[in-house]
Amino acid sequence: MNKFENAVEVLKNNLADAIVEFRVPKPRKAYILLKPERHRDAISLLLKHVENAELSTITGTDLGNEIELNYHMACGGTVTLKNRVSREKPVIRTITDILPGANLYEREVFDLLGVIFVGHPNLKRLMLPENWPKGNYPLRRDWEPHANQESGSNSEETSQKESAGELDDAGSIINVVVGPQHPVLHEPERFSFKVDGETVVDVEMRLGYVHRGIEKAAERMMFFQDVFLVERICGICNAAHTTCFCQAVEDIGNIDTPPRALYLRTIIHELNRVHSHLLLLGVAGHLLGFEALFQHVWRDREPIMDLVERITGNRLMSGFNTIGGVRRDLGPNIVAKARKNVEEVRKRAKFYKTVFEEDLTLRLRTEGIGVLSKSDALKLCVAGPVARGSGIAVDVRKDDPYAAYGEIPFNVICYKECDTWARLMVRAEEVLESLDIIDYALNHIPGGRLRVRVQRKQPEGEAVSRVEAPRGELIHYVKSDGTAYPYRVKVRSPTLANLVAFPEIIRGAYIADIPAVIGSLDPCFSCTDRMVFLDTQKGQRWHWSLDEVNNSKNRNGLI
Amino acid sequence: MAKRRLPVLIKDMGLCIFKKPFTREYPAVKVEVPEGYRGRHIFYPEKCISCGLCERDCPAKAIELVEVSGKRMPKFFLDRCIFCYQCAESCPREAIKFSTNFEMSTTEKEELLVTPEEFISKQKVTSDEDKQHVA
Amino acid sequence: MAFDLIFIVRTLVFPGFLFLLVLVLFFDWFERKVAARFQNRMGPTYTGPLGILQPIADYIKLFSKEDITPKQTNKLLFVAAPILAFSLFVFALFFIPIDGSNVILNSSFEGDLILVLLLVTLANFGIFLSGWASLNPYSGIGATRVLTQFLGYDIPLIILAIGPAFLAKSLSIVTIAAKQPLPFAFLIPWSCVLFVIALQAELEKDPFDIPHAETEIVGGYETEYSGRKLAFIKLSEDFQFLFGAALVTELFLGGCHGPVLFGMTELWHVIWFMVKTLGVVFVLEYVGNVSARLRIDQVVHGNWKLLIPLSILSLALTVIVEPLLRSVIG
Repeated sequence: MNKFENAVEVLKNNLADAIVEFRVPKPRKAYILLKPERHRDAISLLLKHVENAELSTITGTDLGNEIELNYHMACGGTVTLKNRVSREKPVIRTITDILPGANLYEREVFDLLGVIFVGHPNLKRLMLPENWPKGNYPLRRDWEPHANQESGSNSEETSQKESAGELDDAGSIINVVVGPQHPVLHEPERFSFKVDGETVVDVEMRLGYVHRGIEKAAERMMFFQDVFLVERICGICNAAHTTCFCQAVEDIGNIDTPPRALYLRTIIHELNRVHSHLLLLGVAGHLLGFEALFQHVWRDREPIMDLVERITGNRLMSGFNTIGGVRRDLGPNIVAKARKNVEEVRKRAKFYKTVFEEDLTLRLRTEGIGVLSKSDALKLCVAGPVARGSGIAVDVRKDDPYAAYGEIPFNVICYKECDTWARLMVRAEEVLESLDIIDYALNHIPGGRLRVRVQRKQPEGEAVSRVEAPRGELIHYVKSDGTAYPYRVKVRSPTLANLVAFPEIIRGAYIADIPAVIGSLDPCFSCTDRMVFLDTQKGQRWHWSLDEVNNSKNRNGLI
Repeated sequence: MAKRRLPVLIKDMGLCIFKKPFTREYPAVKVEVPEGYRGRHIFYPEKCISCGLCERDCPAKAIELVEVSGKRMPKFFLDRCIFCYQCAESCPREAIKFSTNFEMSTTEKEELLVTPEEFISKQKVTSDEDKQHVA
Repeated sequence: MAFDLIFIVRTLVFPGFLFLLVLVLFFDWFERKVAARFQNRMGPTYTGPLGILQPIADYIKLFSKEDITPKQTNKLLFVAAPILAFSLFVFALFFIPIDGSNVILNSSFEGDLILVLLLVTLANFGIFLSGWASLNPYSGIGATRVLTQFLGYDIPLIILAIGPAFLAKSLSIVTIAAKQPLPFAFLIPWSCVLFVIALQAELEKDPFDIPHAETEIVGGYETEYSGRKLAFIKLSEDFQFLFGAALVTELFLGGCHGPVLFGMTELWHVIWFMVKTLGVVFVLEYVGNVSARLRIDQVVHGNWKLLIPLSILSLALTVIVEPLLRSVIG
């Protein structure tokens, strides 16, 4: 009995009294509606009986009279535990005592939907700015953008109070603020480090600087248009986002994607992964002061970008997937060119793997730094190479195969050292593994149609879809109410899962290790936040004032 | 774990001096763009039937139907366009195609448009240049 | 010294201030081109043929930018520290013979090697002060790092500089450079290698790039500087670079001496000096480009536990080997 079936059995046997509704509409996807407040029992059971069970995310949906909270648990497949609370008084108990990794997800639901989690250690806003008017919850169905043109007082004075360094009362502890603009961050976030000399004592993170309102915007566009919207959540993992979204919608609509399309999706997905990992290895070099390695790795990434451009029409935004299949075919000359480029990149990737393995200065900077033990990693529900660098062998492509991965043999790369070096090595080796997958797919691609015709309207229903994006497990939840517009789209990208672990990792390290650790987590903040301004109808748009007001005296720390 | 060695890149880096640089001096040197690149739109006014599907399906709301020479035809706003080519897919008469022209930057915001007028005048003169670009 | 025309021309034009300035800009360009070739890209190409006017363009740009002084700093210190650093480096360069003798004729004396090293130390204090006066935590951290690193690596540098002085039986740079029928780099190679490593740390280049670490502390000691003052800081860094390379040339490579054709001694001296120093720049860039940046504690450990003992050993070895080399040096 595999993990998923085990999980389902465990719940059915032990919580029969708490289950109101139980559906397994597709293989490895279960949706269980529980009686109020029984979610804690269900989650404790799953954590106890299923190996490496993790919480993927918590989705809140406004159903009109009630707010439904979905707890998506990753156990070999996806088990979604649903819980409903009333809309007037949305209160529910927290699960952060059983599972600290749920911290940020509960804060996000509190921020955008107004659900209060009783017992949460630090229930503050996550995405929206501090001066957002209270009682205003954007993800509720009745919320209209132009209802709040005045977004609170201008925080000019308050932001001046926040200087780059204030001496704490303790005297020797300095508050060093990294971000929102800082050379180490490629996208804006704000990390407030408390340092004593050169050692980091604590860190507080503030996310939400590139929050764009994609989840809300997705409710206002049709399904096939949403594919383009979702693609632009992140440039580097764009194929992962579109694959995930299309899979969710195809689940809802019971659409059978042709096998050739599945293989093509896999090829583009893996090309994405190769280019993303090479990008990160270069960036890691740059963050560690190794400019030359950065330039060389990015030069050797070019054959992949060229290949993607030839296949999909653009180096970055592939626009390749659509609901029901893919939009373009591989041309006749492309297969030969693809094999040549893959071979070129493979030679260089082997060399870079040796560099990261053996180079003295790189090892000095990354070995033993930023250690995240296996048990901590499980409790904090990290995903992707961060988890695999700590010895947890989870990979959505193996546990819950999608696209063509069920038919392609490959290995899950796992390192036991739990430090920054291990996380970088996982990525270096995954490049080689992905190149092998691409080769196999190119050799075994079946003939046939590229896509099936899909209607604009989708039947009522909901679906969860998970893919292995380059940074970890990406999960989309789509709910349809029978029209051509989705009722709710929820995206949880892997960086959010990994950021939860950041304070744990960095405590006790030196300031000089901060770039190395941030680099090894590979944060993609565009994926993490998703809202800045809304665009309704034609041309009506405005910007939320993202002046950050953070009073360091009121801080309690993140976890 | 493998042994630590002195900088592994010594040989690789040294040999780089003798190689030609990988970067090219654009715009002095032209870049070859592969066929199938999603560049600037090409519109065939004679094929258009004014159905408006392009306007309705555009995810970025970058198309507006305007009246030109008595027919309603699409005008593309390049500052909103995301070059997804949903319009080319939705058009039932294949009146929209894409070229490999990516050099669309300008200093005037008003020039960021693709209007039917440019293609009506071109229609009268069949240029081979157009055909070369079309994917 | 007579304050006559020759003095003025030598000090201000050639081989004095103006010539050094042009040399520094040229070295800046050369350094960027070499680094670019190591990274398989082109480097500056747009301004002037082969991009040779790029450093001038950069400085013109810096001089034309807004010059902001933070409100609460000690204005005098904030403005004076970069200028102090800059002028001390220029003055140190006055003691390096470029065309056979120092800029100010007949100014070399026994012990000007020590003077020059002292001037460089003081100049780095100027850099530290400029970071400290900025009242910015990033600058403060950067300034402390400069001090930690520089003071540490100054010691092996001085110890190693004694090697060539011992062989040449003189503490005057002009004499040391002249007494090298075979460059000391071949006679005491261990000393040369260690000197280059210590120099790499002095010049704050990879792997000892910490004070400049832009990915950690934004700009280090130069974070708060902009416009003209930033131009001074950058110029002083460039002069320091030229000084470091020139010192290696004088101490280990025979300075400006080399085969002279057609009796045009001074011209050939300058040419040989340039060729040798550019070679040193190439080696420094090479070392810099093949390594990552070490952490401050690793740098400090490396210095006190590795480099200083090794440099003492190297000096001892030089002393032991000296009688054998007596015949070569003469």
